[in-house]
Amino acid sequence: MQIHELVGAVYEAAWLPWAVQYFFLIALSATALLMALPGLALGRVAALPRARLALMVAVTTGITAPIALLADLHQPGRFWEFFLYTNSSSWMAWGAWFVPSYVGLTVAFAWAVHRPGFHALGQESWRFNWLFRWLSLGGASNGFARPLGIAAGAAALLVLIYTGAEVYVVRARPLWNTPFLPLQFAATGFVGALGLMLVLERVLCRDAALEARLNRALAAALGVVAVLGAAWFALALSGLSPRHSEALASVAGFPVWQKIALWGAVSVAVPFVLALVSPSRTGLVTGLIAIHAAWMFRWTVFMGGQAVPKVGSGLYDALLPAGLDGLMGVIGTFGLWLFLLIAYTTFIPWTEASAPADGAAPARPATSH
Amino acid sequence: MDTNRRGFLGAMGRVTIGAVASMAGAGQSAQAAIDKPHIPHWGMVVDLRKCIGCQACTVACIMENDVPEDSFRTHVSVYEVLKEGGDPAMVMLPRLCNHCDDPPCVPVCPVEATFKLETGEVVVDNTKCVGCAYCVQACPYDARFINHETQTADKCTFCFHRTSAGLLPACVETCVGGARNFGDLDDPESEVSRMLRENEVSVLRPEMHTNPNVYYIGLDAVLDGRVAGEAAYRPPLTVETQPHGEDA
Amino acid sequence: MSTRRNILKGAAATGALATFGVGYADTLKKLAKGHWSGERPDKALAGNAPDPEYRIDPETGDLALNSDQALSYTMCIGCTTMCGVRVKVDKTRNEVLRVAGNPYSPMSTDPFIPYETSVRDSFRAMAQTGAGQGLTNRSTACGRGNAVLQQVTNPRRVLKPMKRVGPRGSGQWQTISFEQLVEEVVEGGDLFGEGRVAGLREIRDLETPAVEGAPEYGPRANRLVWMNCVDDGRDNFALRWLKQSFGSNNFTRHGSYCGGAYRSGSGALFGDVKKMPHAKPDFSEAEFIIFAGTAPGNAGNPFKRVGALVAQARATGKLTYVVVDPVLNNAQNAPSGDRARWLPIKPGTDGALAMGMMRWMFENDRINAAYLAQPSQAAADAAGEANWTNATHLVVVEDGHKRFGRMLRGSDMGLAVAGEPYTDADPYMVASDSGPVPAGDSAAPLFFDGVAGTAGGPVAVKTALTLLREEAMAQSLESYAQDCGIPAETIAGLADEFTSHGRKAAVNSHGGMMNGSGFYNAWALTMLNTLIGNLNWKGGTMIAGGGFPETKGPAYDLANFPGAVKARGLPYGRNAPYEKTAEFRAKQAAGKPYPADGPWYPQAPGLATEWISSLVNGYPYHAEALIFRNTNPVYGIPGIAHVMDKLKDPAVVPLIISVDPFINESSAIADYIVPDSVMYETWGFTKPWGGVATKATTARWPVIEPRMAQNAEGQRVGLESFLIATAKRMGLPGFGDAAIPDAEGKLHPLNRAEDWYLRGAANVALLGTPVGDASDDDIELSGVSRIRADLEAVLKPGEWRKAATIYAKGGRYENIERTYTGARATHAYAAPMQIWNEGVGSFRRAATGSRMPGTACWRAPEFADGSRVAEHYPEADWPVKLVSFKSPLQNSYSVGAKALLRIVAANPVMVGRDVAEPRGIATGDMVRLTTPGGQLDSVAVVRDGLAPGTVAIEHGFGHRGFGAEDITIDGHTTPADPRLAAGVLLNDLGMMDPTREKAGVWVDPVSGTAVRQGLPARVERIG
Ligand SMILES: Nc1nc2c(c(=O)[nH]1)N[C@H]1C(S)=C(S)[C@@H](COP(=O)(O)OP(=O)(O)OC[C@H]3O[C@@H](n4cnc5c(=O)[nH]c(N)nc54)[C@H](O)[C@@H]3O)O[C@H]1N2
Ligand SMILES: Nc1nc2c(c(=O)[nH]1)N[C@H]1C(S)=C(S)[C@@H](COP(=O)(O)OP(=O)(O)OC[C@H]3O[C@@H](n4cnc5c(=O)[nH]c(N)nc54)[C@H](O)[C@@H]3O)O[C@H]1N2
Ligand code: SF4
Ligand code: SF4
Ligand code: SF4
Ligand code: SF4
Ligand code: SF4
Ligand SMILES: [Mo]
Repeated sequence: MQIHELVGAVYEAAWLPWAVQYFFLIALSATALLMALPGLALGRVAALPRARLALMVAVTTGITAPIALLADLHQPGRFWEFFLYTNSSSWMAWGAWFVPSYVGLTVAFAWAVHRPGFHALGQESWRFNWLFRWLSLGGASNGFARPLGIAAGAAALLVLIYTGAEVYVVRARPLWNTPFLPLQFAATGFVGALGLMLVLERVLCRDAALEARLNRALAAALGVVAVLGAAWFALALSGLSPRHSEALASVAGFPVWQKIALWGAVSVAVPFVLALVSPSRTGLVTGLIAIHAAWMFRWTVFMGGQAVPKVGSGLYDALLPAGLDGLMGVIGTFGLWLFLLIAYTTFIPWTEASAPADGAAPARPATSH
Repeated sequence: MDTNRRGFLGAMGRVTIGAVASMAGAGQSAQAAIDKPHIPHWGMVVDLRKCIGCQACTVACIMENDVPEDSFRTHVSVYEVLKEGGDPAMVMLPRLCNHCDDPPCVPVCPVEATFKLETGEVVVDNTKCVGCAYCVQACPYDARFINHETQTADKCTFCFHRTSAGLLPACVETCVGGARNFGDLDDPESEVSRMLRENEVSVLRPEMHTNPNVYYIGLDAVLDGRVAGEAAYRPPLTVETQPHGEDA
Repeated sequence: MSTRRNILKGAAATGALATFGVGYADTLKKLAKGHWSGERPDKALAGNAPDPEYRIDPETGDLALNSDQALSYTMCIGCTTMCGVRVKVDKTRNEVLRVAGNPYSPMSTDPFIPYETSVRDSFRAMAQTGAGQGLTNRSTACGRGNAVLQQVTNPRRVLKPMKRVGPRGSGQWQTISFEQLVEEVVEGGDLFGEGRVAGLREIRDLETPAVEGAPEYGPRANRLVWMNCVDDGRDNFALRWLKQSFGSNNFTRHGSYCGGAYRSGSGALFGDVKKMPHAKPDFSEAEFIIFAGTAPGNAGNPFKRVGALVAQARATGKLTYVVVDPVLNNAQNAPSGDRARWLPIKPGTDGALAMGMMRWMFENDRINAAYLAQPSQAAADAAGEANWTNATHLVVVEDGHKRFGRMLRGSDMGLAVAGEPYTDADPYMVASDSGPVPAGDSAAPLFFDGVAGTAGGPVAVKTALTLLREEAMAQSLESYAQDCGIPAETIAGLADEFTSHGRKAAVNSHGGMMNGSGFYNAWALTMLNTLIGNLNWKGGTMIAGGGFPETKGPAYDLANFPGAVKARGLPYGRNAPYEKTAEFRAKQAAGKPYPADGPWYPQAPGLATEWISSLVNGYPYHAEALIFRNTNPVYGIPGIAHVMDKLKDPAVVPLIISVDPFINESSAIADYIVPDSVMYETWGFTKPWGGVATKATTARWPVIEPRMAQNAEGQRVGLESFLIATAKRMGLPGFGDAAIPDAEGKLHPLNRAEDWYLRGAANVALLGTPVGDASDDDIELSGVSRIRADLEAVLKPGEWRKAATIYAKGGRYENIERTYTGARATHAYAAPMQIWNEGVGSFRRAATGSRMPGTACWRAPEFADGSRVAEHYPEADWPVKLVSFKSPLQNSYSVGAKALLRIVAANPVMVGRDVAEPRGIATGDMVRLTTPGGQLDSVAVVRDGLAPGTVAIEHGFGHRGFGAEDITIDGHTTPADPRLAAGVLLNDLGMMDPTREKAGVWVDPVSGTAVRQGLPARVERIG
């Protein structure tokens, strides 16, 4: 049977590049936050260098993400309705509660972590000491860091779960409706976060040992991504899961998708090999490629997914929505993130962040040593 | 021809229940009938044998409902199909919201802006919709879109503003071939109930179990979901997409 | 931290934030707007949908009208079908909101409701309270019909009179006052700084001959020539002005580039090549129909009615049909299975198919001998036939005989005739055992080939059917199959199927006949109907029931007036015998009467296509002024581009006036444009041109206030005000205060459109059994209240409420029960079918002096000089055939209705897979099409649904008018909208006839109709 559509309608993507930015940034933030916990919440000193970068990533991307999300609402002025009418059957409605909780806890956690630093800056005699005195709320203890960190970690998990589930439950889109998707979001989130940490390490620290450790972690995350991808493919090809087969069939015939698949495989394989072969010298390259891979995965899932008609033939044009507007959204979000990063590195004594001082934490008496 | 037994039986089920209800009303308690007036359950039966692809429905809907440029609440896909060993042949396939009885678009809405009316129509309250487009993603039929002008989700309403005034939906009223038929699925005497009884019918994407209220006569299974085939050639101008930004 | 680094950081931070600001600006703006970032629609759930036109209480059936809206029955002119529709008007905004059908009108509804139904009940019929919950009498507008209301508010409408500045066709205009317009066109003068131009007053010279020494061409007034589209219901008004007042005989419509070849072929069969009657299948009752060259549901006329009836019949009725077409289109329908089949055919070869079928029918004795054998009306009546034919009549076939090709008559045999020879009184002769005898009231022999002993000696004669059979036997079935590309078994099978349903089978055709052999192809196809004798039978073919003419009624005589001129002279399109001209006489005197200087078409009606050739060549004479009214030959005629330069030269035709609401491709070359009303703003009466077996007249009236500028007297500028003003200025008869006689002979004024149309409505209402009076409720509900004051003012007390009924119900329609009387059509066609048409069989082609067959046949296309087209353009060089077909959505002028372009934005060229593959053409590739007439580049779409060797172009795109090119008015330029120019036009590839000395496009040699199907072509991939 050969079918040729002679008249058909075109549907535009309803989730715009803003959504890609949101899902990208929030995944980076949540996974980075989790990577900050061993050092900064659980007190593993060896993990501190990595945790400092991770927290920086978590905070800066975490604040940027919901701002991007707001832009994806066509009625941003109505965002408050999320909290007024929470439809319990909607993952998005739950997300509306998770995301601010998560961002709030993460910022609080970062504050607790840096409180000693703020305090110290507040004591010095300089122009802005008043600010830091105010920021430190008159104390130097970072004891809240542990509970706040753990709470933020829990929120991060909720964020990872809801972002994955929100997309996964869309049965209408076979490319999204796969149980692999939440895992892939998380795994590529780690990839992206580690990539960003690697780049930041290159720019801000230049610590070869840290570079190597990050690279090895990246290789591990890439390995997981590869395994998940291969499993998805295998399932789709084997026909064991009709849902996956349908997903594959919906795009397999299109050259643009074949290119995307190849491109995706290359952007996983290349940093994986580099990170393993030369962990302490390739950070900038692997980092950039990893960021790119995490971002592209989402672009492909969201924009590519929306380019697949649900009932018609062929592909819509959504994969590469033309126009400066979409692009400006993407660039603009990165602008905000960069701004936050500069502010973070400028005003926050992030290099001094250390493990929570146990004695100071009221919940954990010194005797527990 | 593939018949969606489940959906079809569903409709039959409703028809039967409707019949029982009205019998009960007549026989047992007239008072009950007055207390509970019959509430129609609107549905459409599209007879593909009668569709001539004139797109009167498409345009009428645009005119009636002020559907913005680049969007459709309904349209008619036109296919040339070539079966093994057969001659090329034409299929005109009207598409619109199915007003599903299990609509995946409704539960996902974070703010309960979209819901089902008592008479079965799935509608959007544009004063409440935040424009998150989650419902657009969730509809398995590409039946929803974000209206550029209002910046809210938009879709076919089964023209409830007309049907509640005793009129037919715009697309049905103007259907040249008589392919679109509209009426009360809960009334066994209605034309649509009769058509469901007398014909083999199917629905789009039966595997989604959405229980559509739009039925098709003469729908080949190869066309009931994503269609594996060459897409319509779209000259560059039609795909010059308008961004959703307010200046667009 | 160093200061330098801080500065850098600060700069970076500022830049980053600024970038964010730019990207986020829209969101911030939206946020600032608060609750509504977009435009706030009227209603929370129903958006901007207007309130329903009325509400019906489901319990009581009470109907409450929406007082902000008017709901009026009038007419759509979204295409030539001109359906009765129901228009929903926003009264405060003077805007049409939406359109649906008129349930009284057969063009929009089947079954249509009884005419007696009150307007209130007609509203109920279309609602859920109606039969079948409103589905039974549902009344529709098509896709175009739903969209064309946008033409009323089309921003590119011409609303003020315009005069060109700069050369013709340069797109430069100035607006002028109506008064200036009238003065200039009437008085002439140096209007464009290019020299003196004769005005209408000067041209209206009823004394001086148009051509010195050739009185047959009539007076100089004939040098004003008028080109018209189809009759949109206002032609009688225009004709009054042109013929009876001005005195020009030169008026033509678009038929010769519409479906003229089909109509002419049918006209030959029906015995009237000027009016060209034709029948249509009884779509609902037929069991088998062959659509060859017409595509029900894809296009066709009446578009909706045919589409709907065929759709119903294939789904739930008893119809099986075959669409014989080089292109698979919406006429076919896969879900209907074998009920709707597509049979691809080589373009232009339907004659071979039809003659092949005939051969099989003759060989297998499958013709309706009982019908064909009746030689007269009396015989047919006696035999219970609903019609008869001249199958048995004898035809003179003696070479060189002066009656060659003519029917043998009683006077030829030396019989005493009660009147003049060769008139009705002179009997036709049929064969008998005792030689030729006058056709009597019983059956006669079908076949005879022998000699008749005439008064002038023995003459070879044959029956008409013998001649037809000879034509059918001229080629073997295989040879026909070869020619049309349809296998011999398929042809035989089709003939078998066609003849297996008694009289409940039919053949129908139209636009597909616009090819080089179109006339004979059409005759051959329609002849199949005659061979099974289906005319006037239920389930067979039926003619249109006709209408209620507005000009000649019991109340007013709109057709005559004191002082009317009788226009005369041979027609400008040379559709007359060349032998009547001075040129012939001169050449004959010189001993060589043929060839003429150009082709003549005595067997054809008015030929717009040939007019173009007459205009640019000045043959038979030069026109001094040309009026285009709502017509667009420059877009519609294939090949016209070749003579456009001449048409643009003011020396060739000094004055061109266009009456049109738009600057289309033709008004673009006018000197003046008179703005005109669009559809719902205008008056008019039309009847269906076929396909409706009951009488039907659709009335159009302004349901909204027209948008054109007003003249000094406060009337809207338009066709009527323009003609009235020019007539008055020239002092022509038939206009002014005493112009329209009533039944008593009293004269009434004709000073404005209402004076004419309202009286026409009174005639329509009063014809036969007068219609009932419109009640106040009818008038109120239908919005006729808008024109109530005019009705009361213009008409007499006993008339106006009846005329109001015509407008309240959108026309006058005979009830559906009148379709049949028993098993027959109520409105039957009485004249005999012409198996042999002696007019066709005896005329001489002016260009060759040779004759053409007088019966259906299959001939490969020829140019004017009789040479085969294929000799000039051999298949080896021109391997593909190009055809065009109507867009199911667009019409030739609907492009400005924006809602249509968003559904289908352009018309890529359709290339058959067998053509595409060897040339490496894939969908989306650019291809170059070349014909002997031109070349165009377009995107290709490769399809299976095309006959082998075929490339097809959907008609309705590729515009240069309507805003597809820049237009400057009063110095202000409206830039071209590329969407309006999207796609391509087959007519740009149309061909000239290379054998014509005076430039002329390729036309069918008998019917003189434009050739747009089967153009020889090449196609190649260019990217
Ligand atoms: N949708 C729509 N409807 C219309 C109109 C419109 O523009 N659009 N216009 C109206 C007008 S003005 C008219 S005249 C009618 C015309 O209505 P039709 O005559 O039905 O339409 P056409 O498209 O002109 O021609 C009919 C078919 O002839 C086919 N054809 C071409 N060459 C050949 C051939 O050699 N042999 C055979 N057998 N077929 C051939 C074409 O592919 C086409 O499908 O439609 C009216 N209705
Ligand atoms: N290649 C190719 N050529 C074709 C055809 C084809 O199928 N293929 N079809 C042929 C056929 S069937 C036909 S009938 C001819 C048609 O050709 P024409 O009869 O010459 O013209 P139309 O294009 O119908 O133009 C009518 C004009 O009337 C004007 N008009 C539109 N609406 C209104 C209105 O409401 N009021 C007034 N006052 N004016 C209005 C518009 O300017 C429009 O251009 O073309 C023929 N040409
Ligand atoms: S068709 Fe789509 S939009 Fe309509 S009810 Fe079903 S899921 Fe919802
Ligand atoms: S777009 Fe509107 S209706 Fe749809 S899910 Fe979002 S809020 Fe609900
Ligand atoms: S029912 Fe109304 S809204 Fe739905 S497709 Fe038809 S016209 Fe459009
Ligand atoms: S109006 Fe009716 S016949 Fe025309 S395309 Fe729509 S469904 Fe088909
Ligand atoms: S067929 Fe359509 S466009 Fe043509 S007159 Fe009728 S409604 Fe109008
Ligand atoms: Mo036409």
